[in-house]
Amino acid sequence: MKNSTFALAALLTIFVVGCGNSSSSEDTPGGKAGIKTPPGGSAKKTYVVGVSQCNLGEPYRAQMNKDLEDAAKDHPELKLVFKDAQNDSLKQRSQVEEFVQDKVDFLIISPKEAQPLTEPVAKAFDAGIPVVVLDRALMGDKFTMFIGADNKEIGKAAGKWLVKKLNGTGNIVELKGLMTSTPAQDRHNGFREGIAGAKFNIVFESEMKWLEPEARKEMDSALARAPKIDAVYAHNDPGAHGAYLAAKAASRDKGVIFIGIDSLPQEGQGYVKQGILAASFQYPTGGKEGIQAVLDLIAGKKTEKTMVLKSRVFTPENVDKGGDPLE
Amino acid sequence: MTAPLVELTEIHKSFGANPVLKGVNLELQSGEVHALAGGNGAGKSTLINILGGNITDYTGTIRIDGESKKYAAAADAIRGGIVVIHQELSLIPTLSVVENLFLGDPLTKRGLIDRKAMEAEAARILKRFEIDVDLRAPVQELPLSTRQLVEIAKGLRHKARVVVMDEPTSALNEIETQRLFGIIAELQRQGSGVLYISHRMEEIAQIATRVSVLRDGQIVATGTPRELTPDVIAAHMVGKPLEEVKLQVQADANMVGEVLLNAEEINFSRAGQTVVDHISIQVRAGEVVGLAGLEGAGASEVLWTLFGAHQKGGSCKMTLKGNPVDCASPKKSKTAGLALVTNDRKTTGLVLCASIEENAALPSHAKYARFGWLNTKAMLRAMDILCRSFAVKSANFSEAVSSLSGGNQQKVVLAKWHHTNPDVILLDEPTRGIDVHAKVQIYEQILKWKREGKGLLLISSDIHELILLSDRIEVMKQGKVVRQFSREDATAESVMRATISA
Amino acid sequence: MSALAKLRPTLKTAEFRAIMAFAIVLGLGFIFSGDGSFFRLGTHRDALRQVSVYGILACGMSVVVISGGIDLAVGSILALVAVALSKLVIHLHFSPLLGVLIAIAIGGIAGLLSGTLVAFGKLQAFIATLAVMVFSRGIAKFVSGGQKVATNITAPDGTSTFVEVPGLFRAIDNKILGDNVSVVTIIFVVCFLITWLLLSRTKWGREVYAIGGNEEAARLSGIAVKRSKLLAYVLSGMFAAVAGICQAAQEQQGDPEAGMGYELTAIAMVVMGGTSLLGGRGSVGLTMIGILTIGYLEKILSINAVPESGRLVITGAIIVIAVFAQNRR
Repeated sequence: MKNSTFALAALLTIFVVGCGNSSSSEDTPGGKAGIKTPPGGSAKKTYVVGVSQCNLGEPYRAQMNKDLEDAAKDHPELKLVFKDAQNDSLKQRSQVEEFVQDKVDFLIISPKEAQPLTEPVAKAFDAGIPVVVLDRALMGDKFTMFIGADNKEIGKAAGKWLVKKLNGTGNIVELKGLMTSTPAQDRHNGFREGIAGAKFNIVFESEMKWLEPEARKEMDSALARAPKIDAVYAHNDPGAHGAYLAAKAASRDKGVIFIGIDSLPQEGQGYVKQGILAASFQYPTGGKEGIQAVLDLIAGKKTEKTMVLKSRVFTPENVDKGGDPLE
Repeated sequence: MTAPLVELTEIHKSFGANPVLKGVNLELQSGEVHALAGGNGAGKSTLINILGGNITDYTGTIRIDGESKKYAAAADAIRGGIVVIHQELSLIPTLSVVENLFLGDPLTKRGLIDRKAMEAEAARILKRFEIDVDLRAPVQELPLSTRQLVEIAKGLRHKARVVVMDEPTSALNEIETQRLFGIIAELQRQGSGVLYISHRMEEIAQIATRVSVLRDGQIVATGTPRELTPDVIAAHMVGKPLEEVKLQVQADANMVGEVLLNAEEINFSRAGQTVVDHISIQVRAGEVVGLAGLEGAGASEVLWTLFGAHQKGGSCKMTLKGNPVDCASPKKSKTAGLALVTNDRKTTGLVLCASIEENAALPSHAKYARFGWLNTKAMLRAMDILCRSFAVKSANFSEAVSSLSGGNQQKVVLAKWHHTNPDVILLDEPTRGIDVHAKVQIYEQILKWKREGKGLLLISSDIHELILLSDRIEVMKQGKVVRQFSREDATAESVMRATISA
Repeated sequence: MSALAKLRPTLKTAEFRAIMAFAIVLGLGFIFSGDGSFFRLGTHRDALRQVSVYGILACGMSVVVISGGIDLAVGSILALVAVALSKLVIHLHFSPLLGVLIAIAIGGIAGLLSGTLVAFGKLQAFIATLAVMVFSRGIAKFVSGGQKVATNITAPDGTSTFVEVPGLFRAIDNKILGDNVSVVTIIFVVCFLITWLLLSRTKWGREVYAIGGNEEAARLSGIAVKRSKLLAYVLSGMFAAVAGICQAAQEQQGDPEAGMGYELTAIAMVVMGGTSLLGGRGSVGLTMIGILTIGYLEKILSINAVPESGRLVITGAIIVIAVFAQNRR
């Protein structure tokens, strides 16, 4: 009995630890295609693009993969091979190394964090694989192109939008992401810049850790402490939605403006359409632009080293026509 | 005259408001075996723990070689040459014999564990004690008696001037006991003093040079074994001589009725090794059948097989009052009218952390349940009456059963099975490690069951007890019944010889 | 002196110590009242609502822990049930009653799986329920396609439609008795009472204690050990399902990522109450005190808008102090 227990523990460990690697190669039979293509040939018919995603558990990153896929649909010469690092830097590192081993033609990576991944990506770059980095930047310059949005700018835009909407006065609640993460810090600092000069009272601010149930709890506390709330700014759309549910449960949702960030079609844009959020500010995935960069590189066009994505704002008025670009 | 090896004067110790030792005076000379007798709760364990450095907040003085000593911890006492061999096994079940022997102070070479040296040393120690055992086997795989011998060997590995032994033979058979006595004699010759605690009067008579009786925290009698005969000691301990039980047994001797239990083809094998080999057993109403045998002869396994308690490897064809019984699980056997009192109340008999009443009610929940719903009031009332009738000594039956002394715990075990109203009761060492007073009560209970027409199957390593209670004795060896004795021709010597003869 | 001496036995009980920990936390609330919001009724109503989902899990966990096991799967079962229920009542328009029955059945089956592995497969509870935890989370992600199952339904061509929030969700995420009590709190209290009755008033409940205290002695007393253990996990699974229903109703959606780490909070609540992880000791009443202690601690930290880092430190410290006090017997 003891032996079987041990065996199962070992099996489980393999399952839990190893499923990221094994599933990716099963998912995509095209993974081996890169080896088949003649080496160094300039007249290739297909190009293998390795995509290393840091965590598919987040809807935002699932959307990024979907955007990549959609953008590549019209280009049969591109074969995308996806790998999910399950929020583990070391796993992502070994995935990058696998792509180098498989001699992929391009590497698109959305890194979990800079420090542990800069070097492996640099090695891939040195091995002659063009690298497009999405969303989070790496250190140094050993990559082909970085495509990302500016959280601080988006936060600032949200602040300015709110100032305009409330004519510069009101009681504000800010529900923050994990403040140990850069996006939360940027979205916070940008927002504060955006509202600078307005007569806003921040009546309550706390961390909801990007999680909707937590946002609802924190909003309960905000409602308990602040008799009057005019607007809630949450660092992501689920957070804004959680805040809305709390206010609604307390029958205090009328006259309160809820705004959030990310604007994923399933989440933020949906909430705007339902009239729950007054605005959602897009944090673009860069999926489309990433594929375009690859196509440009194939065509031999010159690409920028850094590309800052333009964000859009979605409001009930413009959501059906796809939102408006932020100025 | 030289100072005694150990001299305790006016030792007092209380737990809370409850005084346990009330001025104990005791001395131990070099080369002496001083036996200490006393009922459970008399204060023996406390006294040992004070001597061994486990309890430090006492009053009174301890002199070693005339010098006043106060040990701060058990390790201190060991360094001072005092070794206590506890009744509760302190071995770690999952570690090997070697690892246990050197637990706490392994032999090292350049800072690393020196496995080879330890194994050689262990082999030497075990040879001295004539313990035949695989050094690398985890202790949990050894029979209880072997474990106890390893425990003793572990204690005596250190050079000891004072050796305290608490019930060292409770799990040993006759041969192993004699071997231990040989070791004690050797210690005597070396000039060590042995403080020997036992419930077994014949042992005291055999090896002690002096006997003291502890009752209620005081020494009530000290003398030579010749002065303090077993009956005198027992009288000092409880004031109730065993003679009464003997008279009762004789009066009840021939009340045997029709066959209750008829079991044939009892087989049990463990890991492919036959332990019980095609034996048959009959028990009649009002009959006590004794099963004698050394450790490993398969007697306990017979009881477990009959009760369906072995998870696998056991089988038998059995009828109870003429009805076939499937010995597949304890639940089925219980329903059919069997009960099993196991030989280790702490690991298999009781749920130690549960209350007295919970333990007593454990096999009988169904009696008080309708559609799974318990009538707790009725149940607790019945348990109160039950525990009182079994003379379980506790102010409050909702206290944890672990708060009871060994004898009272054993009474709870008997009570819980009594309440299932069994026809046949299987008793495995029902008096192991309990004092004379509780023993007498358990004997009386066995006789009561007998009078009620129940059948009893009894195992006891105390051969005198077995002979006293059994109407018939079956001697087992290597899984087979090798001889049978009737009450008339069973003597301690003849039964013992049968258990060890080829 | 005599008064103190009389008190001494009381001071030693697990109940008293658990209540002391709770009292300390409440005391914190009086001192750090968040501008007086601690003294408003609504705050307490919310605190009790917020702790309900955890509390329901902790009730089931108590039974498993008392039986000598542990159930790591409850958080994942919660997510699986939340996703399945949302799918059923939002997308497939099942009747509320049928949806709830199926949801509870799913929880029961997941618990049955854990229980079978533990009782009949003789796996260690930690490993068996870890397997079921991973497995359930996988099924939840598979069923939902990794997306939240909400009232926003996207067709394959990208257009999305919206449906009403189901009445079932609105009914559960409601307040009654003059808006003073949340429905989920009522559900939690009912789960607590069921657990309390099962543990203290049924044959099975007493057997669970005996098995946790000494499984071998229980077996040799003719108790159906395997069946009783199995049932403990089934109950825990069903309670996880009830928690999942409450979670879905409060979020108005089924999130496959919901309930992450909730099993650890539930275990912390059980231990905080003074129920021993070794099994055989404790009660769901004690767990209730643990639930309130942790729930109120969270609420007090929240109304004071304490940063996350501070919350982790304070929560950790309170758990250590409480458990330390419990072990000093």
